[in-house]
Amino acid sequence: MDKVEEITQKIVEKFERHGVKVNKSEIKKRVDLLLNEFKVPEGEIIRTITNYLIREHGLSKEILFERESPLVKIAEITKPGVWVSVKAKVAQLWDSSSPNVSQVGLIGDETGMIKFVIWAKSGKGEVEEGKSYLFKNVVTDSFQGRMQINVNRFSSIVELEEDISLPPREVSIVGALVSIQQGSGLIQRCSICGRAMIKNSCPEHGKVESYDDLRIKGVLDDGESVYEIILNEENVKSLTGIGLEEAKRIAQEKLDRGAVLSELKSRLLGRYFKVTGTKGGRYILVKEVDFYKPELKEFKLLGEAI
Amino acid sequence: MIRRREVAKRVFAYELTRSTHVLQEENVKYALTPLGERVNRIFSVSVLLDKEEVRPDTNLWRMRLSDPTGVFYAYAGRFNSEAVETLLDLEPPVIVALVGKVRVFEGVTRKLVSVVPENLVEVESAVRDYWVLETAKATLKRIEEMEKKEGEDVKLAWNIYNPNLEEYKSVVKQAVSLIREELEELEKEFEEEEEDFEFEEEEWDLTELLED
Ligand SMILES: [Zn+2]
Repeated sequence: MDKVEEITQKIVEKFERHGVKVNKSEIKKRVDLLLNEFKVPEGEIIRTITNYLIREHGLSKEILFERESPLVKIAEITKPGVWVSVKAKVAQLWDSSSPNVSQVGLIGDETGMIKFVIWAKSGKGEVEEGKSYLFKNVVTDSFQGRMQINVNRFSSIVELEEDISLPPREVSIVGALVSIQQGSGLIQRCSICGRAMIKNSCPEHGKVESYDDLRIKGVLDDGESVYEIILNEENVKSLTGIGLEEAKRIAQEKLDRGAVLSELKSRLLGRYFKVTGTKGGRYILVKEVDFYKPELKEFKLLGEAI
Repeated sequence: MIRRREVAKRVFAYELTRSTHVLQEENVKYALTPLGERVNRIFSVSVLLDKEEVRPDTNLWRMRLSDPTGVFYAYAGRFNSEAVETLLDLEPPVIVALVGKVRVFEGVTRKLVSVVPENLVEVESAVRDYWVLETAKATLKRIEEMEKKEGEDVKLAWNIYNPNLEEYKSVVKQAVSLIREELEELEKEFEEEEEDFEFEEEEWDLTELLED
């Protein structure tokens, strides 16, 4: 798209968002003149033509001050009265008793959740639970001490193809460790990005300096579902007493890094664990973990129930 | 697309070894148990009673395993050298946790169920205790579903096996009470130890010395 067409499109869209039909070819002529003949910068062109159109159509000056609001993450919304844009997933819709409100609920991205209100007079389309949208040009607000965003007539809501993930939720599971996967035990991490090396090579940085770490990627299975978990060095140490230093010692003694993994497998595989952690992507990042032991009273209760 | 990992079902040997019907779904084979459970992978904690190389130097090993409800077999070989390595180190009888795939073979006179281990490891008796509790609960849930006679797999299980649900209930009850009695024994021993300790304290009563 050439520059003239691009600027023209921006102006046309701006007015269309407010339900105002403008003459595109006329605007294009003005843009061409200001850009190519008079060498006016883009921002000034838009401002000048917008001003002209406001007068021409007898519109409120508000349009002039509308800018492209910056795209922010929900966690960054901390002050009321700021124009922003957010990409978020609709987590929940609530019933609204007010006829002034078209929709109200919770939206979220991976950094947090926030209440949103679509005012009836904004005339904006409905959103659906579980779908992701770009909420463009919305105003932040504070209501009863909590932040929210308001969708008004200057805002727009565009459905997104991508699936925005909601913030990590804490989960707690009891299950048997049925598998310990590749990339577990005494591993090497890239000294630049910290990623686990595969065959002495970082997937991003290639053959670079590395440092040792201890972790377990495993599968916890409760008989009904499977959960992929990551135990960090601290977790591994609390369960087995083997920390990073001890692991390095074992590897040195046996002249084999794999010896650490064998030792951890024999101590952890097939046991029941209670883990608490947060779900990030496909893995549960474990915060707390302990061996899970049955209590006599559970057997008594079940025995009586049969 | 990555295929979803199969859940490891909790099934007692009694129910497992009575499973003869195979269901195929896409590329995955499931054994249908008499209580209507589709089983591809199991997690079982049992006692390794015996290990035996099937024919000398084949490196194919047969394990005889027992939980409180019965005996079943597992086979490990070249296809899982890690399990074989573990197995070589084990001196039966020991308690082992086994994760593996269930296979139904056409025997000479009848169909035979066995397990091919993915993971095999020696574990403590507490792991077995909890497994029995968990498997008992899972089995009772299946019995309940069978009583309702709803669902495709449940109906199929009724048709093929026509199981005696009371029989399965009593198997579960026995398994649970076995562990319960063992835990009660342990608790009693623990209490007795505490009593001994109190008795010793009395012998070292220092009241008289302190009164002076
Ligand atoms: Zn790197």
